[in-house]
Amino acid sequence: MDVREWSLIIFTILTQMAVGAFVVLGIVHFFAVRQAGEAEADRLSDRALLAIGPVLVLALIVSLFHLGNPLNAYRAVANVASSWLSREILASVLFTAVGAVFAVMQWRKLGSFTLRAVIAAGAAVIGLFQVYSMSMVYQLPTQPAWNTIATPIAFFATALLLGVLAVGAAFVANYAFFVKRETPGSASVQSDLLHGALRWIAVAAVVLLGVELVAAPLQVAYLAAGATQAARASAALMFGQYGLIFGLRLALAFIGAGVFTLYLYRSATTAGQERTMATLAYAAFALVLVAEVLGRYVFYAAHVKIGL
Amino acid sequence: MAKQLGFYMDASACTACKACAIACKDKNNLPVGINWRKVHEYGGGSWVAHPAHPDMLIPSSVFLYSLSVACMHCQDAPCVEVCPAGAMSKNADGVVLIDADKCIGCRYCEWACPYGAPQFDQAAGVMTKCNMCTDLVAQGQNPACVDACPMRALEFGELADLRARHGVLNAIEPLPSAEITQPALVVTPHKHAQPSGRGTGHVLALPEEGYHGRS
Amino acid sequence: MSEKNILTKALTETALTRRSFLKWSAALGGTAALAGGLSYGLKAAETAAVAAAGEGKWVAAACWGNCGGRCLNMAYVVDGVVTRQKTDDSHPDSPDFPQQRGCARGRSQRMRVFGADRLKYPMKRAHWEPGGGDKSLRGRDQWVRISWDEALDIVVSEFKRITAKYGNSAVLWGTRSLALAGGYVNSWGSTSSGTWQFTGPAVIGSYSDAGVDRLELRKSKLIVMWSTDPIMASGGSPTYNYLQAKKAGAKFIFIDPYYSNSARVLADEWIPIRPGTDTPMLLAIGYVLITEDDPATNPLIDWDFIRKNTIGFDRASLPEGANPYDNYRDYVLGLDENGNRAPEGHPNFPAKTPEWAAEICGVPPEKIRSFAIEIGQTKPVAFMESDASARINSAQSIGQAFVAVGAMIGSIGVSGGGIGRTRHSTAGNVGPNLISFGRSGTVLENVDNPLADVRINNNEVWDAVLTGKYTGGVGPKKDVNIQMIYHTKGSRLQTTVGQAKGLQAMRKVEFALCQDFHLTTGARYSDVVLPVTTMWERDGYLVNPNREAAFWASKVVEPLFEAKDDDWIDWQIGLRLGVVDPNNPEISLKQQTFNRVAGATVLMADGQTTEPLVTITEADLAELGVTGTPQTGRIPILQFRDAGTYQVPRVEGDNFTYIAMKAFREDPVANPIKTATGLIELHSQALADTVSAFGWTTIRPIPAYIPAERGYEATFSDWKKKIKGPYPLQMYNKHYYRRSHSEFDNILQLREAFAQEFLMNPIDAAARGIATGDIVKITSSEGSTLRPVLVTDRIMPGVTQLPHGAWTEFDDTLGVDKAGSDNYLEAGVPTVEGHSGFNSQIVQVEKWTGPRIAPDARWPQRIVLGEA
Ligand SMILES: Nc1nc2c(c(=O)[nH]1)N[C@H]1C(S)=C(S)[C@@H](COP(=O)(O)OP(=O)(O)OC[C@H]3O[C@@H](n4cnc5c(=O)[nH]c(N)nc54)[C@H](O)[C@@H]3O)O[C@H]1N2
Ligand SMILES: Nc1nc2c(c(=O)[nH]1)N[C@H]1C(S)=C(S)[C@@H](COP(=O)(O)OP(=O)(O)OC[C@H]3O[C@@H](n4cnc5c(=O)[nH]c(N)nc54)[C@H](O)[C@@H]3O)O[C@H]1N2
Ligand code: SF4
Ligand code: SF4
Ligand code: SF4
Ligand code: SF4
Ligand code: SF4
Ligand SMILES: [Mo]
Repeated sequence: MDVREWSLIIFTILTQMAVGAFVVLGIVHFFAVRQAGEAEADRLSDRALLAIGPVLVLALIVSLFHLGNPLNAYRAVANVASSWLSREILASVLFTAVGAVFAVMQWRKLGSFTLRAVIAAGAAVIGLFQVYSMSMVYQLPTQPAWNTIATPIAFFATALLLGVLAVGAAFVANYAFFVKRETPGSASVQSDLLHGALRWIAVAAVVLLGVELVAAPLQVAYLAAGATQAARASAALMFGQYGLIFGLRLALAFIGAGVFTLYLYRSATTAGQERTMATLAYAAFALVLVAEVLGRYVFYAAHVKIGL
Repeated sequence: MAKQLGFYMDASACTACKACAIACKDKNNLPVGINWRKVHEYGGGSWVAHPAHPDMLIPSSVFLYSLSVACMHCQDAPCVEVCPAGAMSKNADGVVLIDADKCIGCRYCEWACPYGAPQFDQAAGVMTKCNMCTDLVAQGQNPACVDACPMRALEFGELADLRARHGVLNAIEPLPSAEITQPALVVTPHKHAQPSGRGTGHVLALPEEGYHGRS
Repeated sequence: MSEKNILTKALTETALTRRSFLKWSAALGGTAALAGGLSYGLKAAETAAVAAAGEGKWVAAACWGNCGGRCLNMAYVVDGVVTRQKTDDSHPDSPDFPQQRGCARGRSQRMRVFGADRLKYPMKRAHWEPGGGDKSLRGRDQWVRISWDEALDIVVSEFKRITAKYGNSAVLWGTRSLALAGGYVNSWGSTSSGTWQFTGPAVIGSYSDAGVDRLELRKSKLIVMWSTDPIMASGGSPTYNYLQAKKAGAKFIFIDPYYSNSARVLADEWIPIRPGTDTPMLLAIGYVLITEDDPATNPLIDWDFIRKNTIGFDRASLPEGANPYDNYRDYVLGLDENGNRAPEGHPNFPAKTPEWAAEICGVPPEKIRSFAIEIGQTKPVAFMESDASARINSAQSIGQAFVAVGAMIGSIGVSGGGIGRTRHSTAGNVGPNLISFGRSGTVLENVDNPLADVRINNNEVWDAVLTGKYTGGVGPKKDVNIQMIYHTKGSRLQTTVGQAKGLQAMRKVEFALCQDFHLTTGARYSDVVLPVTTMWERDGYLVNPNREAAFWASKVVEPLFEAKDDDWIDWQIGLRLGVVDPNNPEISLKQQTFNRVAGATVLMADGQTTEPLVTITEADLAELGVTGTPQTGRIPILQFRDAGTYQVPRVEGDNFTYIAMKAFREDPVANPIKTATGLIELHSQALADTVSAFGWTTIRPIPAYIPAERGYEATFSDWKKKIKGPYPLQMYNKHYYRRSHSEFDNILQLREAFAQEFLMNPIDAAARGIATGDIVKITSSEGSTLRPVLVTDRIMPGVTQLPHGAWTEFDDTLGVDKAGSDNYLEAGVPTVEGHSGFNSQIVQVEKWTGPRIAPDARWPQRIVLGEA
């Protein structure tokens, strides 16, 4: 595995996480407005929203490292007519741009709430399309390990799982570093919002984990029984050479998104457990991030091409 | 049907001498690590105890043959489809070409091509590939590889003509199924040739030495 | 044009820009050249002043080297730089009138000539002193550039000093000038022909052309390819010619430990056999032919031919004075002098049954039987071999056993038949040349080396340097004190057996020099290295690629850097030694070449009369810059020069048809062959006498089997109980695509295309836990080498193969060779006629656990004195 593939791992993980986080933020914000009004909802989510931008920019920069000729990178969108890679890049850039516009508007409270909501929804759609395009990039007939429904499932699961956990971690951080200090008075409203969001996040994480835990092993089993030698060889790599990493990835995801989130749910239901709650939210995010990187590593390392 | 140039490969006559591969390197000044034409050896079989003399080993269906493979200038070329930069295109003769000025070096075509045709030039950062010696062909000559073959196992021409002369077979092991890309190729099978995807043998090569490297 | 896209641009633009050329030559030079900043290639590009859009010209360029192929090579020259190569396209191609197409090596000649690793200047070892200085530094020292004058002065003063002190017999190998100055010691012994060297002439006379021409070959019913792989070892047309015979209906059977590259295309059947065990198989074939032949119901033996054209077949046909049991039939049947079954202990014991042979050669008895019957029943059979099976220690009997079978089945002197050698330049197309070149008019006569009686056998040469003893005939060993070694026009340190000792020998003597194109093994271990011009920098190279064609290669470029040709060097040494006449120098190579072309004749359609090959006009003489007289011939001389080739068209049944020994078959008395008796000698006293005189072994006059030293039997510590010994695997070498012997081993694209890989059968590999791609350590009595292994069913169990000729890379810290140099494992084993027994070696193989070695295509080139 060389720099090129590491750049792909980081790029795909970060953009997926960004899209996931954006969507999750939108949903949380929607409910938070209903519960506590626009201002409190904004206080909960605006800083998290602003964090997405740098992540995306970083991802795009890292993606350049996988190009042999980065000076030509602007040409990458030349073939949207037939290339999913072009579409992916275009969607990534558009998502970054529209997301940035939205973020600025939201931060500065420019435009009406509805206008912003429409732009946010647009960005979200672009983002989801980006994740979809990214998964389509790997739908190559020559790559049996990628060319299955498992790839889009995995990419969306990664996006949403990392998204929810990232948002959870961001909320906890936002609360600890800003909200509590700025206006202790409103802490209780924010605290309620936070507890509610984290409970919801914990539930979502468990569900998404379930998707991953079902999809990933099924995928390997499917490949192992594959029609082509390349498919079987991929499965053999996933079991064999990369089996340990594959297993570790599932274990970490299980602990992070399963075990920790259960405790997270518990601590978010009980008052006065802010500390534990925060630690759990960070830890779940960190573990799952590592798990997803490992998973993506195996994704790139264990694909065997049909043919020569 | 639009004009489509293609290659003919006589696997029954190929000796894996690689004169074609080196002729290509010479014609195109390709450094070590970049091989637009490669020769793949495919073989199998085993040694078993002699039924009447259990202490003697005899070969059991030991076989070997080779294929000289460059870009297939596929009719259904996934490389062209997937290239984000539009750097890959099919010209009027059906030849698939890379415009290096457009290439961003993403190596996506490499993943999409089942023939290992796109060869990344690390130093230049761009993809390179067999261009069917368009310059020679324009002058009415044959591609360098074709004229190099001491066994006359390679030919080049309009796919329709090649098919008329040599039949329509376009895939044997270790080539992938022709359905993936519709290669502009006609093969005469070796007598031990095995059908694509269903062979009992394996590609014979060191994993890293030579140019069959996986890295 | 942007830098990054230069490569691709260069490909699509026919015009070569200076910039892209720089890139190109840098690519030629490899990464090492780039890292060094200024490489030879870059410099050459600049001095060559490649014009922005220089139009080039195709020049017929030499493809030289000892490869067995003879192919047309064309170089595209743009302002003194070769940018491309191609092969024969001088006429439309057809199976009957084929182009003489070349191989991957031929296409790589420009990488040799313009490689960044070319030797550029005369140089000496940094720590060299008269007498050698610290001799252990040979092979490890730095190099210092010196002038030609200094280099030649060193050579001459060391030669004078050493010969004054020890005599001329202290000098190993030399040139004409050294011969004139008192001589030097030469080495001897067959390398290519194995024991056919003496067996062939003694038994069948002109064995090397005992076949038929390529069109006659198409009349064969069955072609037996015994230890021969023409596509590998006779590059160019031979295999294509064989393919035509196959298309014409011939069946092909290959007898080889390896399912070869030719076999994959030609073979209808492959009979695997252990190296060095062909004689038992051949004897058993004889046994089957004799015991199963019935002239009435199952005629297998051509009795007429045996009775008329051979001696020694049975007791009745023995020459006068011969030992009565020394006849082929009784030996094969295991009979004593009275025709009774020979008892144990009798020289003819046991009968050479297929069962007896099978235990040794590994071919099942019923296969031997059916094969014998098949070749006995089929007519005509071409019964061909390449001598690889005779490159075996002790293998004196194989040629005679082979001829015996060929004679019995009546393959000799018949259309579509043939027996014996199909190797090197005459593979698959035997017969006298239809085109002959004239005389060169050389001034300098060939000089006989006055030290002709001090000759060291190749097997003993390194021992002789180290121990001061060598075998000089029957009797005690003789003394010799070698103190100077001169490597030229040969890569002896690489291609002679016992290289491990050779490297020590190089560090023992007082002076060593080498003249070559690159830093070869010989050069690396020398004190003084002289750069010589390649054939592309010399004028005129004429060759008959096969009997039907003639090539004329022209000078392609002016000598690069300070390279000089061998003749110039020899002349300068001669002048300094005062042994040549300064007033009588050699005429130019250009004039010599012209003389040979002008005097060339070509056979006319009647197959009898000849006519001059070329027409010459005054204008041609002016254009060529030579002196001569106009003449009329078949083609204009400039046409010949520019095309580089003339090929006589042939059709089946024409007057050029060649069937060896046809007249001999019809009337052996009137048309005797060149053996002692004029007949095929299945009993050859002459051969037995020749062999005894060498002083190592005595043999019987008949093809009696002697197990090879380091052969199959030697892999056992107890043959009877079949207990394996310390070196349980056989190993042999093969002439390989990558190289012609050691030449071309430095070409990276050939290293990349043809890995120096060690072949093992899956059964032997599995027993050692070895898989394809593993690095293994291969050990013989001489030392160890490292190689990646390719596990394949193509090679017989118990047998391993290491391709011949890789430039040794001895690693001082690991104590092993890393390049897979065959002769690093081979030992000098003088047997019978002193030939080299490369294909009989025994080894042990284990997985290498030390540092992994990188593919040699990625090793740094041997670039010395990049740019001064
Ligand atoms: N183990 C093992 N050893 C073998 C064999 C084997 O099968 N196994 N094969 C054997 C056989 S059959 C043979 S014929 C021998 C060949 O043995 P060699 O003749 O020693 O082998 P080459 O590698 O051809 O050596 C030629 C050398 O001369 C140089 N050279 C070429 N032309 C010129 C020139 O014009 N001038 C000068 N000064 N140098 C020149 C080349 O660069 C090269 O270094 O090897 C034998 N060695
Ligand atoms: N590419 C290339 N071509 C060359 C040369 C070169 O160095 N490189 N060298 C040239 C020279 S000088 C020579 S002499 C010729 C040599 O030419 P060949 O004698 O034809 O050389 P090899 O390829 O070594 O051996 C031929 C076949 O014999 C098999 N063989 C080896 N040992 C035995 C044995 O004991 N019994 C049987 N039955 N088979 C055996 C090998 O597996 C191989 O397939 O090649 C010439 N051509
Ligand atoms: S040149 Fe011809 S015979 Fe040799 S490897 Fe190429 S296709 Fe095969
Ligand atoms: S062989 Fe590969 S690179 Fe060539 S056209 Fe087909 S898919 Fe594209
Ligand atoms: S590497 Fe170049 S040619 Fe290949 S897909 Fe990417 S941009 Fe296109
Ligand atoms: S057609 Fe030209 S570019 Fe393509 S493989 Fe042959 S020689 Fe190379
Ligand atoms: S076989 Fe020999 S002469 Fe022919 S191209 Fe190859 S190296 Fe040159
Ligand atoms: Mo040789």
